[in-house]
Amino acid sequence: MRKRHLFVLTASLATGGCMQYLVQPPAPSLAGSPHEVTANSYLGSELQQPPYVLAKKCVDGEQLARVIVKRDFGQGLLSWITFGLVAPATVVYECANVDEPGLGNTSGGAR
Amino acid sequence: MPQAPIFDPAKKWQNFHQTYLQIVEGTWDLHLPRLAADGATSMEDLKETTRQFQALIAEARAKNLPLRAVGSRWSLSKAPTTSGWALNTNRLRGRMKVAAADLDPAYPGTADQKSGLYLFQCGNTVADVNKVIEAKSQQRALFTSGAANGQTIVGATACGTHGSALDFGALHDHIVALHLIATGDRHYWIERKSRRVMGDAWIARLGAKPMREDDDLFNAAVVSFGSFGIIHAVVLETAPRYLLETNPQTLKLDENLWKAIGALDFSAHPFFAGKGRPYFFQAVINPSNDEVLISANYRKDCPADYVPTYGLMQKDGALGPGFDSLSLAGVILDHFKGLIPRFGKAAAASLFDTNARTGTPGEIYGYKAPQLHVASGSIAVALPDARRTLETLIQLYKDIGPVPLVLGCRYTRRTPALLAFNRFDIGLMISIDGIDSAHSRAFFAAAADRLEAQGIAYTQHWGKSNAYTADRVKAAYGGNVAKWRAARRQVLPGDSDRALFDNSYIAERGLAG
Repeated sequence: MRKRHLFVLTASLATGGCMQYLVQPPAPSLAGSPHEVTANSYLGSELQQPPYVLAKKCVDGEQLARVIVKRDFGQGLLSWITFGLVAPATVVYECANVDEPGLGNTSGGAR
Repeated sequence: MPQAPIFDPAKKWQNFHQTYLQIVEGTWDLHLPRLAADGATSMEDLKETTRQFQALIAEARAKNLPLRAVGSRWSLSKAPTTSGWALNTNRLRGRMKVAAADLDPAYPGTADQKSGLYLFQCGNTVADVNKVIEAKSQQRALFTSGAANGQTIVGATACGTHGSALDFGALHDHIVALHLIATGDRHYWIERKSRRVMGDAWIARLGAKPMREDDDLFNAAVVSFGSFGIIHAVVLETAPRYLLETNPQTLKLDENLWKAIGALDFSAHPFFAGKGRPYFFQAVINPSNDEVLISANYRKDCPADYVPTYGLMQKDGALGPGFDSLSLAGVILDHFKGLIPRFGKAAAASLFDTNARTGTPGEIYGYKAPQLHVASGSIAVALPDARRTLETLIQLYKDIGPVPLVLGCRYTRRTPALLAFNRFDIGLMISIDGIDSAHSRAFFAAAADRLEAQGIAYTQHWGKSNAYTADRVKAAYGGNVAKWRAARRQVLPGDSDRALFDNSYIAERGLAG
């Protein structure tokens, strides 16, 4: 029973330190693989490292299809004990296919 | 100038649902060339992509690196994995309507079938295919569909995704021709001898070698999980556009309902009264109680001016499970089994649609809320074994204690693919879905043993968690295994050709080399 309580306490602490937000359009069209960037926010977001998360892997006019901002237990703990002065997070982004390719025709031209 | 493939040296590769991690030597991202001035997919696009694939195959071979094409990374099994280069295809979304002038004179299709043929490049998702063919301008639809739409059409079909229509085969039964890039200097246009589709002149323009001397090569390559080379494009036969009307309900599992679930006899239960045989039927059994979520979808005509709308919907301020909620749920449920029945019910509601709706197949089998750490495996049995199999699995559930899984039952016809999951004349496809946990994994591991102990013939879904071994593959497919391997040698004749596309998944199942 004690073990269970310990587990619940640990799980609560762990979940308290974690967060994850997913942003995506209703019908995403993913291009390429997910890309992970570690970002740090300092002094209540007065400073950020890097200054902005650049989705460098989105090429040829691709925009973003999906962004996940997450913080693991260690990142959450650091943010908590520094009262938010140091707030690291991990940003995962995926690029979006540029647009719908035109429907071609095997005989040539559009259909 | 077409965009050259871009190399990402990252060594960690994860599947979409993040149920496993694979170490690779890097990933190549390929891009749709878009060489035509009007932006429509052209023959030149297909040829340029072929050239890029072949250059990568040649380079991998020179470096002695295995490689595999991967699309949406959707598989829960390790079928698409490689220890070498992953070739990311999800930008290759070229699509073409097949012109009547390009058809082989021997194509046996009806006038309707002739007007409903499309070529799709490998990176198109099932969602993309639906959007293209269900458009008002096209008025077509897929005959059948899997439950999800995020897989690429080639990834889903190459893993034998089974579909869900009572009187149709698998998703791969839409395919009537495929373009296979096997080596640095050989690519093939593969069709069945009994169903030639594209004319010689068109295949010659593509520069591919036609392979249609028999049916076996096509029937092997269409479900080959990336082992025959890179399936660059497929030609699909489609149906006239239609709507599905669905009104899911939760019912008690009684003898009348068993007649529907165990024998597709819809005459006894009042739920089907006056409606008859549905086009699609699904029963989701929660083994922790006697409740079954029933979906019977009825086919209706689609008005010509109907405009489908796609995409996820949720109410503002709604509360629901987060993207990664199941990973914690799995850990909690491993320690508190008493919570599993409640979670099982919530998981079923989250994994399966429960709202009454009418829409095209692309709308009904549309976008799902993305979730990590799902557990999913599927077993297929012949309809006469349906009830016995379900009772065996329910008993297993009781024997090993509550498990955060439900049993989704769907029904399809046999397909001619040599290693098809749809192996039975009328098959019950049991999708075992839920939360990834130690108990779920124990259930998956024990399910195949239990069916064998009962003497029930079965197959397993190649793209989901499965317990296939070389012996089990032989038991499921018999002489088709040798035919499949012989077909692989036709397109990959050299040991080193095949080694490029071998992986541990097919090696463990006796299909490599």
